[in-house]
Amino acid sequence: MNILLYNLFYLLVFPGLLFCILMGVLLSGLDRILVARMQRRVGPPLLQNWYDFLKCMGKETIIPRHARRTVYLFAPVVGFGALITISLFLPVLNGKAAFSGNSDLVVILYLLTLVSVCGMVGASASGSPFAGVGLSREMVAMISYELPFVLVMLSVSLKTVALNPMGAPLTFSLTEIWNYQAAHGPLICHWSLIPAALAMLFVIPCEVGMHPFDVAEAETEICEGMLAEYSGKPLAVYKLTHMVKMYVMCALFYVLFLGGLSTGMAAVDVVIFVLVCALLTFLTMSLPHAVCARFKVEQVFQFYWTWVAALALVSLVLVFFGL
Amino acid sequence: MNTFMQNFPILAIMSLFLGAFITSLVARHSQKAGNFISALSVTLALGFILALFKPVMLDGQIITYWLGGWEPVAGWAIGICLEVDALSLFFGLIVTVAVFVSCLYSFTYMNHDDALPNYYTLFLMLSGSVLGLVLSGDLFNVFVMIEIMTFTAVALTAFRTSYEGALEGAFKYLAVGSLGSTGVLVGIALLYSQLHTLNLAQIAALMPVTQGSSVVLAIAFGFLFIGFGTKAFLFPFHPLAADAHAVAPASISLMISGVLTKCGVYGIIRLTYILFQNANRPVVSYLVTGFGAVSMFVCVTMAFNQHNFKRLLAFHSISQVGYVITVVGLSSALGLGAGLYHAMNHTIFKGLLFLTAGAVQHQTGSLDLDRLGGLSKRMPKTTALFLIGAASISGLPPFNGFASKWMIYQATFNAGLLHHNLFYLAVCVCALLTSVLTLASFIKVTQSVFFGQLPKEYEQVEEVPLAMRLPMWILAVLCVVTGLFPSLVQTYLLTPAVSAIANIPAYVDAAMGAGYAADRSVPGGVIASLPVTNTWTPTAWLALLFSVTCAVAIVAILGSPKDRQHEYISQMGEEESAKYDSFFSGEQAVYSQVGGSDLFWGFKHNWRKYFAVMHNWHSGIVNDYTLYGVAAIAFVLLVCVTTL
Repeated sequence: MNILLYNLFYLLVFPGLLFCILMGVLLSGLDRILVARMQRRVGPPLLQNWYDFLKCMGKETIIPRHARRTVYLFAPVVGFGALITISLFLPVLNGKAAFSGNSDLVVILYLLTLVSVCGMVGASASGSPFAGVGLSREMVAMISYELPFVLVMLSVSLKTVALNPMGAPLTFSLTEIWNYQAAHGPLICHWSLIPAALAMLFVIPCEVGMHPFDVAEAETEICEGMLAEYSGKPLAVYKLTHMVKMYVMCALFYVLFLGGLSTGMAAVDVVIFVLVCALLTFLTMSLPHAVCARFKVEQVFQFYWTWVAALALVSLVLVFFGL
Repeated sequence: MNTFMQNFPILAIMSLFLGAFITSLVARHSQKAGNFISALSVTLALGFILALFKPVMLDGQIITYWLGGWEPVAGWAIGICLEVDALSLFFGLIVTVAVFVSCLYSFTYMNHDDALPNYYTLFLMLSGSVLGLVLSGDLFNVFVMIEIMTFTAVALTAFRTSYEGALEGAFKYLAVGSLGSTGVLVGIALLYSQLHTLNLAQIAALMPVTQGSSVVLAIAFGFLFIGFGTKAFLFPFHPLAADAHAVAPASISLMISGVLTKCGVYGIIRLTYILFQNANRPVVSYLVTGFGAVSMFVCVTMAFNQHNFKRLLAFHSISQVGYVITVVGLSSALGLGAGLYHAMNHTIFKGLLFLTAGAVQHQTGSLDLDRLGGLSKRMPKTTALFLIGAASISGLPPFNGFASKWMIYQATFNAGLLHHNLFYLAVCVCALLTSVLTLASFIKVTQSVFFGQLPKEYEQVEEVPLAMRLPMWILAVLCVVTGLFPSLVQTYLLTPAVSAIANIPAYVDAAMGAGYAADRSVPGGVIASLPVTNTWTPTAWLALLFSVTCAVAIVAILGSPKDRQHEYISQMGEEESAKYDSFFSGEQAVYSQVGGSDLFWGFKHNWRKYFAVMHNWHSGIVNDYTLYGVAAIAFVLLVCVTTL
């Protein structure tokens, strides 16, 4: 009974549903304010995205005639579920994930993929040609950031893995990564991993679909692409997914490169964590958003497969040679 | 040993071959009787193989059967032998289950065709030969079975002669496939000249492993490797598979991709781990892993450019077999376990995908990705089945493709760590990338066949009958079960099979009599007999994903108004409902679906040079393909002669 209650707490409050939504709303609100200030506007209130979400929830849901009803309605929900599941595996507090054991990078990589796939399948099921173009662009964006992401993943694992020739080592374990950082200091302080950290900073906005890389949702070109047909509650879930994804990617960066720090007081740790997330949001999302114009699809691909992948590769090679 | 049990392997093979002959006699008079005989013989084969599960997989016995009682005399095996260890049985299970499902599907799927007696006769011969291949304990019978397999497969590929390219595809398969068969034959001849035996167990015992092998043996290895590689359609041979799959009936595509390629995989495992015991040499490891990785990557990029549903699946088929071969080359218990697991999963999910392609073809008469669309409206159940298959092959959790790919990443990464080798790490990156590219091309199929706009000509298409959906459901359920319970698969299938590979003396003794291996000091095995640890355990967090999804679903869906969609259509009639239509208002007359091959333009644009090279490479001319095959043989022989 006790275990069940604990699990429900993890699932629904911290670090699960409630905390994710709270952080997502705060970070996305912060992002909007920061962008506005950089453009010399006042910007919306901090909770504007939450109000938008509530408004969408109250609106009528229209299902287009070409749509495949079940898939159209359930895809956003499954995607959101997968995203919340990721948050349960991130050991954000004291290296303890809510459900550890299988918490490894490959699972997180694939769950992130699942989130995007749900978006794409939902868009596909809406039957709109705009959504078709949108999902095709989303897929290309995904291929783009996948290569640097994988390389970052491998360099971090290679650095932190506990070599044990007899038994198979836990290669991609997040707990292992956290423990290594607790013992040797955060990975961002190891110079050989700084290129990988930079590459990861570039991966975040594309994974989230933030402005210079939001080829899939380009409002002005393809009518919000994948979301073209969505309205009402499914749209609200998509918006929420987008916000929570901002938080999850920041938390993932925190775990990979800034983990292992602990003051011993949980409350202080949480505050530090929130501040780091806010800083990451500014660096990776608000700043490029305010500074850059949207890339073309093929430019996104080129950028990630040359510059960002090269950064990550440099780290992988350095780490491989024991630096 | 239980003598009664010993007859099961031969009974399983005989029931298929006998079924073939009886079907050809009976079906001329009554097709129903013919169908009954076919169903009976595949069920019997499946039953006999399942009966072997307990003694072989659980108790670790090795079952041998000597045809005509010609047992070895004075340490020399002359008679024909069937030897079933856990590895053989593992592949035997894959084969018989696939054959069973394919046969069940054929009954309805093939009902528009004529010459059905020929179809079932050839089908059962193909099945029998494949089963004979994996259960055989004798190298020459392996060759005989390969020949029967190739020729029946060629005949079945061209079964629908009215299809454009059917004879062409079959001819290519025949011409280039015979290179592989010749390779196997030459390899066997060379091996026989050196060791004077054809029995697998005796070859394994007599193989000079420790004191550097001779050049002739190295050449034999090269020929056998490329021979089995051809049967698995590895890299330079992959265009054959594409041409054959595109025209073959879907049930035969299932057989070619799910069963025939697995024979190649089985052959390569048997060859490198048991016969030559050289899988742990760096050269062999690089050779096998290299061929696997190149196949994996080249074929997945080729799949991007396909316009034909089944050609696309065919390229993915080779790509997934590439995964298997890649990890088999790592010569670690984890790698072998991952390879076997993925081989099994590939048969399941690719079978499912081919059957859904067949269902689409059966109902619409087309496989063209640029013309199909919106079929989910008309065939919702097939769509659901396709989505399960697509999620599995793309490796989305919690389906089986994820569980095995997870092990593949672990295995390649571990190999890179243990050998401190950048090559294996590159392979790991390549495997991860291939996975996302696989996903991309299945998104393309989903979008251009099942979702999107329904063309006018397909508005009257109907769902396939239950008799065709049932085999698909069997495979779909297997996809989910093997994905959700990897620990069961590991305990009951993978660990016994890997232990069998790791224990060569037991394999030798079972055929040649106890003590034979010890007398000739046969080494224990290429890999240590570790249990395959490190599988992924999904159930814990699966419950989470489920509960989260349910919680959100309740909030988001139950609150939404009931059935708006139909309400509007009924209220407003067909013409006036444009307001609630997709974003078409102005262009409704124009069919504005994005063609399947135009998706992912951003990716293709950046890779246009690569795709131009690939386009020239896949010229479709059989002479070119033969040339590539010869070049591959030359390359492998060169590597073997210079380094082994």
